[in-house]
Formats: sequence, structure tokens, C-alpha cells
Amino acid sequence: MTDTHTQSEGAEARFAEVFQNLGSIVRYAAARGSRDPEGIAAEVMTIAWRRLPSLPADDPRPWLFVTARNLLMAERRRTGRQAPLDERHAEAPAPEAESGDPAVTAALMQLRPADRDALLLVSWDDLTPAQAARVAGVSPVAFRVRLYRARRRFEQALSAQQGGLNGSHTVGMEST
Amino acid sequence: MSRSMDRLERARPAISDGIDRDALFAQIVATPQDREQPPVSRSGRRRLLIGCIALAVLCLTAGTAFAVTGFNLFGWHTDTTIVNSPRDWQRLYREATRELTLPPGEHWPDRTLPPHTVTSRTQPGGTAVAISQTAWECYWVDAIRHGNTSAAQRAHSALDDLLAHHVLVAPPGSPENVAPPAGTKPPFAIFASDGGIQYIRRMYRDAADGRPASLIQSCRANGPVGTR
Repeated sequence: MTDTHTQSEGAEARFAEVFQNLGSIVRYAAARGSRDPEGIAAEVMTIAWRRLPSLPADDPRPWLFVTARNLLMAERRRTGRQAPLDERHAEAPAPEAESGDPAVTAALMQLRPADRDALLLVSWDDLTPAQAARVAGVSPVAFRVRLYRARRRFEQALSAQQGGLNGSHTVGMEST
Repeated sequence: MSRSMDRLERARPAISDGIDRDALFAQIVATPQDREQPPVSRSGRRRLLIGCIALAVLCLTAGTAFAVTGFNLFGWHTDTTIVNSPRDWQRLYREATRELTLPPGEHWPDRTLPPHTVTSRTQPGGTAVAISQTAWECYWVDAIRHGNTSAAQRAHSALDDLLAHHVLVAPPGSPENVAPPAGTKPPFAIFASDGGIQYIRRMYRDAADGRPASLIQSCRANGPVGTR
């Protein structure tokens, strides 16, 4: 009885640490256009509690973000929202939240979903490239390459946006 | 950090959620967790530990013997054949391409052995298998994108056939230059026993079940640059 009680307390203590990421998951879901970011975050945490023993002990954040992404995709399927096939099947949902900086939002929307996601995982979600690579499901090396290209394309798109404000200069998407 | 990146970070939307964290936490931890494996008794744990150590020693011994002496394990052996001329390499590659298929409209790329390079005689065939695999995967992705069900089924069937007849899994602990039992019909690619083949099979099953994310990623990663 005492053992069970102690185990339960240990699990709750560990879950409390995991639970501190709730706000990050809300932000992640909101920035990817979820209709119910708080609901997604709560569901992620519920799943994390249920599967607590199988969560990576050293760093649960990538696991939490991957779970959130899967739930976001399920939400999209449920609500029947239309998105390009690439986004529906291959990439994380695209960010739709207003960033508070229209030029940044416009530049982000010019990027490919994979590039956009790489940028946001690191810039908005505060993941390290290694953590973000685990979320994106690619090797750290591949992710760093993707991130490097995404940054370059974002800079080009952003400067084109600024140019667009002053003139009519636009930048097309690069392809690799 | 560049000014653009700085600006991106500053543009991070401020999210103020209305979640009552304490209530949510209490609500979640009141729910049951998934059942864990039943705890192993102390004596059972000891037996398990001894078993694991014995197995590790066995694997290590067998692997070392295999690597050092070319020990024959179920016919698998250390590959001592070599090819060192581009002309021989290309002949073996061409022979392999005759045994394999490519999707409609695709052609075998020219490949050769770089000068002053040595490789095993099974390697050209392995290269051809990998090319065929990637080409069919990308063909499948295109078929999915265009809603072409029959093409998708054709690609799935071709890949299943490739895995069944031209992909082999080396025994655990094999060295890199392992070769399959004599008489194995080339061409073939040899996979390490690290779960890779299971991952690929699962990827194809998922794609066939309407979840092609991994397949698309594989095509992107391995297919021709800039075309997918």
C-alpha cells in the first residue's frame, strides 16, 4: 500500500514536470491554426499522463510536440479542412496565427510547410535543433540543413515583403 | 542572430490561455494510467539479467568470430570478392538492371565506380536495387498525388516484389562486408539487422492504408533533388 502510494506520488511529481510544457503546447497548436489549442494541449497532457512510463525520461518535449502534431492532423481530418496534400500527409500543419507583424506572417506563408515548421519549431517553440529534428522526424544533420535553407528563404521573403511595401517587388519560392 | 531571425522571434504571438492549470492537473492525474508490465520478482529479475548477459556474450563471441575468421553462419560469410575496374562494375550494374524494374518513363541512370576504388562484386547490384526502390517509391507518391489508384497499386506491388526477392537481411552481428549464402541469385541489397526492413515494410503498409507521410519523406530524402 505504501509502495503503491509512493509510486503514485513519484508519477505525479514526474508528470508535474512534464505538465509545465502545457503553455508551449497551447502556443504550438495555436500557431498551427488549431481551432481548439487549449483542448489539444489538454489532450496531449492526458496522453502523456497515461503513457508516462514510456515518455523519454531525459527530454519529453519532442514527444509532446509530436503528439500535438498528430492531434492537430486528426483535428484537421475531423473538421474536413482543405489543405494541400503535402500538408495533409507529410508536414506539420501550417501556421495560421497572426504573428503581430504582417510582413513576418506574409514571409512565413511564402515558405514551404517543411521550412516554415523548421523555423517555427526553433524560433517560436524554443526547441533546440536536435529536439526539433526529433519532432520533424529527420536526422539532426538533415534538420540543420533544412533550417539553414529555411532561414535563408525567410530572409529573402521578408526583404521582398519590405520591398513590396515600398514598390512591387516579389520573391517566388525556391525549390530544392 | 540576423535581424530577420530576431524579428521572427519578436513576432511570436502572445498566447494567453484560460486554462485552470491546477484543475486540469488534478483532473488528469485522477485518470488511470496505461497498465504497465507486471513487476518482475527479484529472482526473476536475476534470471533475466543472467540470460541477457549470456546472450550478449554469445552475440559478441559469434560476431567477433564471424568478423575475424569469416566464420560461416547459416551460409552467410565474409565477402572477399572485389571489383576494382569501372568497366567490370558497369557490367555487373547492367546485369542487375536487367533483373529489376523501373516505373514507366524512368531510365536507369549511368553509374560507375570511381577510379582507384575497390568494392565488393555484389555492390553494383545493391546500387541498382536502391535505384529501383527509390524510383518506385517516388512513382507511388506521384500516383497518390494524382489519385491514380492503379498506378499506386502497381508501385506497391513492385516494391513488395523487390523486398521479397532482392533485399536480404544479414544476421545480427555481421560485419559490413558480409555476403549471403552461395547460390543466392543477384541482384540484392543487404540490410543490417537493425529494424530497417521492418520500418520500410511498415512505411509501405501505411502508405497503402492512406498514411503516406513516411513514403513521401523517403522519396524526398532519396529521390532526385528538386523533383518531388
